Amino acid sequence: MKMSLTVNGTRHEVDVRPTARLIDVLRDELGLTGTKEGCGEGECGACTVLVDGKAVASCLMLALQACGKEVTTVEGLAHGGELSLLQRQFIAHGAVQCGFCTPGMLMSAQALLMENPTPSADEIRTALAGNLCRCTGYSAIIAAIRAASGREADRADGSA
Amino acid sequence: MTDELRVVGRDHPIADAALKVSGALVYATDMRLPRMLYAKLLLSPIAHGRVAHIDATEALALPGVVAVFSHENAPQRLYSRYRLLPDQDCPEDEPLFAETVRFAGDRVAAVVAEGLDIAAAAVRLLRVQYEELPAVLTAEEALREGAIPIHPGGNLLSEFEHAAGERPEARGNEVTVTVATSLPRAHHAALEPHSCIADCDASGKLTMWSPTQSVFGARTVVADLLGLSYSQVRVIKVPMGGSFGGKQEFTLEPVTAFMAMTLRRPVRLALEREECISSTMVRGASTSTVRVTADPAGVLKDLEVDTLFDAGAYGTSSIDYVDMMTKKLTRLYRVPQYRHHCRVVYTTTPVAGGCRAWGAVDITAPMEIAMDRLAGRLGMDPVELRLKNLVEPFDRELLTGAELGDARIRECLVRGAEAFRWDERVQQDPGRGRYRRGVGVACGAHKNGMLSDTFPDFSTMTLKMNEDGSVALGASLHEVGCGAVTAMRLIVAEELGIEPEMVSVTEADSDLTPYDFGCYGSRVTYVCGAAARQTAVALKERLLEVAAVLMGRPVAELCFRGGRIEAASAPGEGLAPAEAVMAAKTVLHEDVSVQSTHQATSNPGAYSAQFAEVVVDTWTGLTRVTDFLAVGDVGRAINRAMVVGQYQGAVQMGIGFALCEEVGLDTAGRVVPGGFKQYHVVNTPDMPDVKVILVEHDGDDGPYGAKSVGEISVVPTVPAVVNAVNRALGTSLSDLPLTPAKVVAALR
Amino acid sequence: MAVREARTMAVAVPTTRDDLVVALGRATTDTRIIAGGTDLVRSLRVPGDEPDLLISLGGLRGLSYVRLDGATVRVGATTTFTELQHDPVLREHGLCLALAASTIGSAQIRNVGTVGGNIANASPCADSAPALVALGADVTTVDGAGHTATRPLSEVVLGPYHTSLACDEAIVEFSFPALGPTQRTAFTKIGSRTAVTVARLTCAIVARFDAASGILEEVRVGLGAVGAVAFRVPEVEEALRGQRADAEAAALLAEGCVRAIGRSIPDRPTLPYKQHAAVGLAYDTWNALGLCPPCAPAAHDDRPEEVA
Repeated sequence: MKMSLTVNGTRHEVDVRPTARLIDVLRDELGLTGTKEGCGEGECGACTVLVDGKAVASCLMLALQACGKEVTTVEGLAHGGELSLLQRQFIAHGAVQCGFCTPGMLMSAQALLMENPTPSADEIRTALAGNLCRCTGYSAIIAAIRAASGREADRADGSA
Repeated sequence: MTDELRVVGRDHPIADAALKVSGALVYATDMRLPRMLYAKLLLSPIAHGRVAHIDATEALALPGVVAVFSHENAPQRLYSRYRLLPDQDCPEDEPLFAETVRFAGDRVAAVVAEGLDIAAAAVRLLRVQYEELPAVLTAEEALREGAIPIHPGGNLLSEFEHAAGERPEARGNEVTVTVATSLPRAHHAALEPHSCIADCDASGKLTMWSPTQSVFGARTVVADLLGLSYSQVRVIKVPMGGSFGGKQEFTLEPVTAFMAMTLRRPVRLALEREECISSTMVRGASTSTVRVTADPAGVLKDLEVDTLFDAGAYGTSSIDYVDMMTKKLTRLYRVPQYRHHCRVVYTTTPVAGGCRAWGAVDITAPMEIAMDRLAGRLGMDPVELRLKNLVEPFDRELLTGAELGDARIRECLVRGAEAFRWDERVQQDPGRGRYRRGVGVACGAHKNGMLSDTFPDFSTMTLKMNEDGSVALGASLHEVGCGAVTAMRLIVAEELGIEPEMVSVTEADSDLTPYDFGCYGSRVTYVCGAAARQTAVALKERLLEVAAVLMGRPVAELCFRGGRIEAASAPGEGLAPAEAVMAAKTVLHEDVSVQSTHQATSNPGAYSAQFAEVVVDTWTGLTRVTDFLAVGDVGRAINRAMVVGQYQGAVQMGIGFALCEEVGLDTAGRVVPGGFKQYHVVNTPDMPDVKVILVEHDGDDGPYGAKSVGEISVVPTVPAVVNAVNRALGTSLSDLPLTPAKVVAALR
Repeated sequence: MAVREARTMAVAVPTTRDDLVVALGRATTDTRIIAGGTDLVRSLRVPGDEPDLLISLGGLRGLSYVRLDGATVRVGATTTFTELQHDPVLREHGLCLALAASTIGSAQIRNVGTVGGNIANASPCADSAPALVALGADVTTVDGAGHTATRPLSEVVLGPYHTSLACDEAIVEFSFPALGPTQRTAFTKIGSRTAVTVARLTCAIVARFDAASGILEEVRVGLGAVGAVAFRVPEVEEALRGQRADAEAAALLAEGCVRAIGRSIPDRPTLPYKQHAAVGLAYDTWNALGLCPPCAPAAHDDRPEEVA
């Protein structure tokens, strides 16, 4: 099935099976391997991308459902080779360890900040509920998002 | 000492953070090799039985299918996926493909095809007939008389006892408590599912790309199994999206290598989440009964433990894993007599394997739950009871006589109790309302490397300086994702007086990098870090040698000053290191590079004390951890941000182990399906903001005094949470995890 | 990557209702209708089970709405949970459904998953079901012949993953009487954690209340995740009608729910837990109605007989 997808501002024509998932097209057809598959059932959030600005699990969405919509992946966060503020805060706050959850975390955070530029810690926790991390215990990630939201983060690293 | 440090001890992002936030880091499943094939496994749907017949006709007829493998066309040789060393004593009981399946999830066959979709479709076309055998789903069942033997040697894989010391003469007023604690099978839950790529070129050379914890171990297992020389197998460590022990044994490498070697094409095998849970490895289920005796003042007199461990279908590391359970408690407490009896048992259930902290979690939970019970019996505060018994700095532990080094567990507990306001909070009455609040504490001990074991606990590294003064560390590192590479970079930068960005660090490549047996036993910072520092010192010496020739002065006169090499007698005269390297190349025709081997000489204790506050809903049985403090004796934080982050992550894992994580089996022995829908790890709404206190000091042999973090950080978490729940409810729960149903049942 | 298709699969992405009817006209029992896909996409991946025809409702912008039509609330089938969660009309006239939507999955699921899909999938744990049951919702469908039909939800969802929907029939709308100022409604859920969890027990209540007398005039209670389908609890509804809205009413609600669960899943091993947890859930739901000062069940260990 031929379809066209707009990903990170670029229109792509692909020819895939109708049941091809969005994540498969992104990774296998377009080479955008930053989007990760951690569970294939929409539970871990590693595959989160934005479709028309909303966070979605790209492992639970068919590519054809994203036709005619704007898809943004982690590769689309930086501009002109410059990392976004959110990406830089993830680095600065030690929010990145093994990195496998990171793209999905960033996309959920990006969706949140687009909708709510100054979220509280609780709002961040709710927005990230569908993104699992096994390395960080989430504190550094939440601190990074708060910092990117322009709010002064509380003591970010948890040191007492 | 920290005042003098420039880069060590501060906050640094993980070295490849920029790649990770931009989605550019290439993990194994992101790789595409020319002509790469895709493999899909057929896993046994039954717990025990014989594969009577496999009909691959339909599968092979599907266009794009290249091969189907099973026991019918694969080597029958048994191997151990755990083997790290060629001469290691480990049970060889596992085939590439099972003719007798021993658990639901055992490898029955594999399809290799031009595309993953094709392989997945073809696997469903394999027709397999099984002759079912009785399933053996618990260790108790496996030991019962008349139980069907799962392997030829019977179901008792190993039984042993370690004992030391003597029980003081009884005075008759001692108090003894006996507590049995059970831990279920658990999933490591690294976010990256297991994957591996193997290729075999026209010369027969096998190359593998694997997120593994030991390239040399993978090489050993694969080469021995396939009859290749070690020079014919090259294993390259690729980025790893977390392991927690789940990728430390060689689950996918042997079968992938075999398929690539047979087909002479690159083959990728990548598992889905449910396959990871059921077919790779779990933390084994165990029950440990702790019988602890103290005098009325709370001083321990005797400690006896009995452990029954379910190894699952194959032996892998389980004997060593359980042996490690016997090496923790005497690192934590002074006790006159310790006796620990262990049985390791085969069952037809998912394979047990190494898991973060190797037995320390499994034995510390029973011990610390029992200690709270003892405190209750003695009418003593749990912190006070522990302070009466914890080891002191530079104690020797009872069982092996090993020195514990500058063991600061007492300081961890005291500082933690103060910061947590333990004395005040432990007094709070949970009340009789619907929501009950309680606090709990637990201590834990772990290690720094594997000196006391029969493993080659040394690390060899090379370091060369480039013409611009930057350096390249050649090391067999196995970054699991928490900053080993970064730590090495900081250590070398610190020692050489250069910026971390001037240091490149390799990960392991069995053909290219010097020997290091892998990321095990909390040895990386302590042993590899010391090796990195020692190698940097050797490079400085080499620089002085070169400069001495270039400057025409004796080496003894030269020193480093202000980033330059100068003669003590002639300040201002000298060379920058970069100039020395350049001149060494053009004038002396020499390279400025060194190789150095650091051998571990000690294995001090690593310690943590942790404090939890929980709120339990007595009607829904749901428990929330509302506050958590972890105090770690880390010696010295090399990278503070990553040390704190590892502690916070470890607590996430420990809370899950205590409250919800369990790989459940149905009555036929199959893992309850559902992946992460069923196997819940703690997500953001249920995770407290974990506070971390680091106890830092000199006194141990690690680089800048550093000790291990990644494993000890999770050791006391489970009992801290369980003790808090039991305090809140007045219960004595010890059958983990404390699910809402168990909490409610205890209340009814 | 070379991909071979087991059989040809047709895809229809209708953009108008007429197109939808045409697509449904081609449907067979092997046809699948995809709305958000959060339940369906996984099963579409099973090789060999590919549908002959995949009808995507994603192009039907006109099926995503919440509107007040006189005294009736109409909810388009492809309205997402995120949209339901925040919709001002729904929050005013059918709050329990908005609350149910907010407890579903993660943000990623709520952004895509639809109320029509939730009901058509017919999971016993579907979060929207008890809310729609309590609201007395009807389901409107269209079929391949262009016929439109409306029937009560209870006639659509028949059992676990089992509905009365014909293979050429798609849900297009839910409708229920708009709740007015004299009515209060609440929804609560127990899962195995705070968020992103399959329901273990859900409860929705709609209550008409006379503020002057403090009397409950009419109560509708829906329970979910305790049996094959979400169901009303007439016994409780009868008991509460005419009752004063006070702690005694809360206790009646809890006792009634416990009994209803006992009748619904008498042989399940989860029964003791669910009956115990139902007490907490019932009080949470009652308190969320805000009809009287918050009341609490007696402590389980003070008066255990209350639980029985």
